[in-house]
Amino acid sequence: MTMDPAAQVQPPATQQAGAAPILEMVHISKSFGGTQALEDVSLQLYSGEIHALLGENGAGKSTLIKIMTGIQQQDSGEMRIDGQQVRVASSQDAQRLGVAAIYQEPMIFPDLSVAENIFIGHTNRGKIVDRRRMEREAEAVLARLDVNLDVGEPARGLTLAEQQTVEIAKAISLDVRVLIMDEPTASLSAHEVRRLFRIVASLKRQGVAVLFISHRMEEVFEISDTITVLRDGRWISTLPRAEMTPALAIRQMVGREVRELFHREQREPGRVRLSVRDLSREGRFRNVSFDLRAGEVLGFAGLVGAGRTDVGLALFGVAPADSGVIELDGNAVTIGSPQAAMAMGIAYSTEDRRQLGLVLPLSISSNITLPSLPRFLNRAGLVKRYAERSTAEEFRERLRIRTPSVDAPTGSLSGGNQQKVVISKWLETNPQVLILDEPTRGIDVGAKVEVHQLIDELASKGMAIIMISSDMPEVLAMSDRVLVMREGRQMAIFDQRDATQERVLAAAMGQSDGDLTANSEPAAARATTVMDAEISGDTLAAGANRE
Amino acid sequence: MARDLLRRLRSWEGLLLLCLLVVLAYNISRVPNFLTIGNQINLFQLGIEKAIVILAMTFVIISGEIDLSVASMMGLSAAITAAAFEAGVPLPVAILLALSVGVGFGLINGYFVAVVGLSSLAVTLAGYIGFRGLARLLVQDRSVGDFPEWFTNLGQHGLIGPITLSIAIYFILAVLAIVVLHFSGLGRLTYVIGNSAPVARFSGVSVVRTRLIIFMMSGLIAALAGVLMTARLGAVRASTAEGFELDIITVVLLGGVSIFGGVGSMAGVLMATYLVLNLRNGLVIAGVTGNTQTGIIGLLLILSVLLPNLAARVRERLHRRQADAAVRHHQPPPGDTPWVTEPG
Amino acid sequence: MSNALLRRIRPEQFREVILFLVVIGLLVFFSFQINDYFNARSVNRLTTGLAIPLVVAVGQVLVVLTRNIDLSVSSVCGLSAYMVGTLLTRQNDLHPVLALVIAMLIGVVLGAINGLIVAYGGVPAIITTLGTLALYRVVLVEFSGARTVTTAELPDWMNDVPSATLASAGGYDLRLMVGIALVVVILGQLTLRYLPFGRRLYAIGSNPDAARTAGLPVRRDVFLAFTLSGMLAGLAGFMFLVRFGNITVTAAQGLELQVVAAVVVGGVNIFGGSGSMIGALLGVLMIEILQQSLLRWAGISEFVKDAILGLLILVAITADAVILGRLREMWVRVRRRDRELAQSVPADESGVVHGA
Repeated sequence: MTMDPAAQVQPPATQQAGAAPILEMVHISKSFGGTQALEDVSLQLYSGEIHALLGENGAGKSTLIKIMTGIQQQDSGEMRIDGQQVRVASSQDAQRLGVAAIYQEPMIFPDLSVAENIFIGHTNRGKIVDRRRMEREAEAVLARLDVNLDVGEPARGLTLAEQQTVEIAKAISLDVRVLIMDEPTASLSAHEVRRLFRIVASLKRQGVAVLFISHRMEEVFEISDTITVLRDGRWISTLPRAEMTPALAIRQMVGREVRELFHREQREPGRVRLSVRDLSREGRFRNVSFDLRAGEVLGFAGLVGAGRTDVGLALFGVAPADSGVIELDGNAVTIGSPQAAMAMGIAYSTEDRRQLGLVLPLSISSNITLPSLPRFLNRAGLVKRYAERSTAEEFRERLRIRTPSVDAPTGSLSGGNQQKVVISKWLETNPQVLILDEPTRGIDVGAKVEVHQLIDELASKGMAIIMISSDMPEVLAMSDRVLVMREGRQMAIFDQRDATQERVLAAAMGQSDGDLTANSEPAAARATTVMDAEISGDTLAAGANRE
Repeated sequence: MARDLLRRLRSWEGLLLLCLLVVLAYNISRVPNFLTIGNQINLFQLGIEKAIVILAMTFVIISGEIDLSVASMMGLSAAITAAAFEAGVPLPVAILLALSVGVGFGLINGYFVAVVGLSSLAVTLAGYIGFRGLARLLVQDRSVGDFPEWFTNLGQHGLIGPITLSIAIYFILAVLAIVVLHFSGLGRLTYVIGNSAPVARFSGVSVVRTRLIIFMMSGLIAALAGVLMTARLGAVRASTAEGFELDIITVVLLGGVSIFGGVGSMAGVLMATYLVLNLRNGLVIAGVTGNTQTGIIGLLLILSVLLPNLAARVRERLHRRQADAAVRHHQPPPGDTPWVTEPG
Repeated sequence: MSNALLRRIRPEQFREVILFLVVIGLLVFFSFQINDYFNARSVNRLTTGLAIPLVVAVGQVLVVLTRNIDLSVSSVCGLSAYMVGTLLTRQNDLHPVLALVIAMLIGVVLGAINGLIVAYGGVPAIITTLGTLALYRVVLVEFSGARTVTTAELPDWMNDVPSATLASAGGYDLRLMVGIALVVVILGQLTLRYLPFGRRLYAIGSNPDAARTAGLPVRRDVFLAFTLSGMLAGLAGFMFLVRFGNITVTAAQGLELQVVAAVVVGGVNIFGGSGSMIGALLGVLMIEILQQSLLRWAGISEFVKDAILGLLILVAITADAVILGRLREMWVRVRRRDRELAQSVPADESGVVHGA
């Protein structure tokens, strides 16, 4: 058994022999409940270096950033700045230490001017606001970034890209030394990305260390000096860009542990239930087309923010599409509201079960009957308690919801059991088409297997299912076909036998399929062969050797 | 058994019950025959209109909104009844007119909140000022009276034995409110929307319709209370029911309904109603004037939100301290795989 | 709406411009309806009537900017008027300035109580100040024992102050009280524009989450806003005492509604983040003009006042949500298009590079 050769050659600590790193994360571990989000991760950031952080959804990137910026604290390990161990208990601490982060959704005060947005957090600017000086200085900061904005104008009118620029300017004005950019390009146009990169380049010249997170492979390879890959909360490799290739990066990112996954039987799907042609919604997704058959599970793969949930919301009428055709059993339909969708037999189980799926303080039974409440009312408008209870009991038994009573508040259940309640409430509406958005996110293994069994059972009874999931092994194991989206566009539809982790991820990241074909293995085969094995090292090494 | 009792007492309703017993004991000790029917009816009769509006306000606040305009609506409805009657409209028609204005303005409040999407606080603040203004416009600075005897008799004398019409209506409405809030579809949706309107939307529930119904109900009940008050007092001024919204909202919050919506029970609110009636009575016995009682109610209002907040904060702090301690003691063993820890 | 106009003026400023035009329109309308509308006595009465609500409105703006509301101001005003009045009847030789300071201190204490409960106790402002509106009034009732402060008991200088005039031209006076109110407005506007505290109030109301994330002292600032609102209500109480002399337990009752209405009508967003003292000034002016002119205008009774206030509030918040929302969208679009046009001019190749 060989280790990933690249990782062996370049252990992280020996990155640049001459200079000392500005910021070091040393053996950081962090767990939430039973899930290990980060395990023994180390990372060094150097002055004037653009360091890209790569990893699938859930690889631990966000947790690492949150620890660096003081939003969360590590369980073990330490953070060092200029070689000194530091404690970062809040975002203000991080700011003081010269560490700032820019997120996809900037934190802007729409009613304040651009200049004020830049300087509002400063405490040492005298007792009186000198607008002229502030605007001059704001202009100077923006000039350092080669950006021209009217600094006296309120921030309300700024585009997302401009708001990000303001955030960067804010960071610079605070003498930032480490700037973390979490998917800054996710919602920018090509032109805006160019401009952002010019800014990043000028920051680099000024000696700022930039940690750059992006799902766009070509951007990562264009801009970064160093690339670190995380997977499953663990450090995989840190390489200079010259020694990394997109294909290698993708191989290092995939290969999450797939053991204990449910294995589905192949079945012959029925007739076409739902047919979607060129479905689009301005600013969300474009030209999505697919057929969904009775008894079929269509997986929606892609990275977070690829527009998969938006397609689900459009099909459920929460945020309807503005163009395209939806046919249900051959009839063209318009879905303008959730009520309309439900009347057509479409159900959508949300990815955010705590905020959008469940009324946590209310009982399990009231949650289960909520969408079909009119059926549980008698003529006087009173709830038929007996019918409601027995329905809830049925689901409790069928889905094995673990609770002392169906009258217990839903919030008292574990994540997995809450998910079963969400699924129950939609099954009670007797849907023909069931859209499951991240059905197993944040639930434990046991419950996950049960949800998978349930999906299989529903499909075998003829239900048409769309399963949106960011869990790659799950998508591959559960789906008859896999639709891959990237940045609002449909990249590919794979049959199960053609779908491999590499191909799906490559499509999701906008890489061409060709340079990866050497490593394709049928997903089903993989799911069984790699059971319980330390697949990561093995398969990666195999891939690397073949290359 | 003892522990069970203790737990029950520690709940909000338990605390209410305890307060109620104390106040009741005080009243009984100071007034002979306090618990006789006659006394109890007098007790209710003094605040009966508020008690009626409290029932509707409970729905409004549980659904996550607020209606500051109820007291002004009561005044407006009284003014409409009086002005229309004065202008020669038969009294039953005048009453119907007042009730329909209540429904109409309730719907207008609901429209701006549910459809336009403005905050109920701002919308009903406008109603609070505006409805009172309309009442002033109608009766100006006069006192309009001279209603037919049957009307004032209904307000002042027993209908069924010593029980007045208002009290009868109150008890019917209270039973209705319990049934609707806790056993009907509308009541269920009230809780759902108060807890999370997005969940309701994502479950295909019509949030707009439910909100409209609740505000309409609030307007109607307030108008009804205004008419009943007219009958009881026999005279209408523009300032009729002025300041009642304070009492009404206070009792609802005191009854354990969360100002942020989604939490509360009719039992708690009914208990709080009875408590406040007794409290006011006790204060009268103790020689405290009506104005000062209002101040004490104001204080209660603040405390009924402040105390649970502070308690929650203390609990959170304790909890965090425990959690911190737990983290310190529980370092995960190295090499633990991410999947296997959490039990089903 | 023409784009050229949108390039010049921000949507928020539109509100003030429109309000200004409405005020002018009202004046013109009433001057045609009412004989001798602009006679010196009426104008003086109008300006004098402005002084007290104006001072209270300035404090209200500070609070409303942070997405809160202070309904207790009328009780604070009444309590301070009564307490200082009582003090002056007992100690006739108390220095006027000292009396003024005491009035403001009373306001500070009462406002700070509101601020503590809202900012640190987490109780919604509407609940808190609805409660203290009743509570402070009761303190007044208890304190007074339902007695009345009368003009006769007050020191003599009291009688001179209301008619004290700073400047006069052809019978049109600038009274001392109005002068004080204008100074408060100016100080308020300066605070909002030039003090970090003032700017933070906008930030807090504009995006409370971002304000917390940015490490702004949100709680302290909200507390301060309530305290200042109390202080100004205390000052207004002093002015109330000076103006009316006779102080009963119902002094200044209902003032809170007039002030909240004025602030909202004056374009201060009830959901925080935008508005100015100039807007509040225009709001107070408009309501005062309506009130006094309708009184003089035959056929309209004085009782219509509150109905109009309620309607004005509803119109103002709806206009704010609907029309201003549209205007903002248009404004954003126009500005963006302008910027894009500016960028499409090949500025990049022109050699403007600022490396550091």
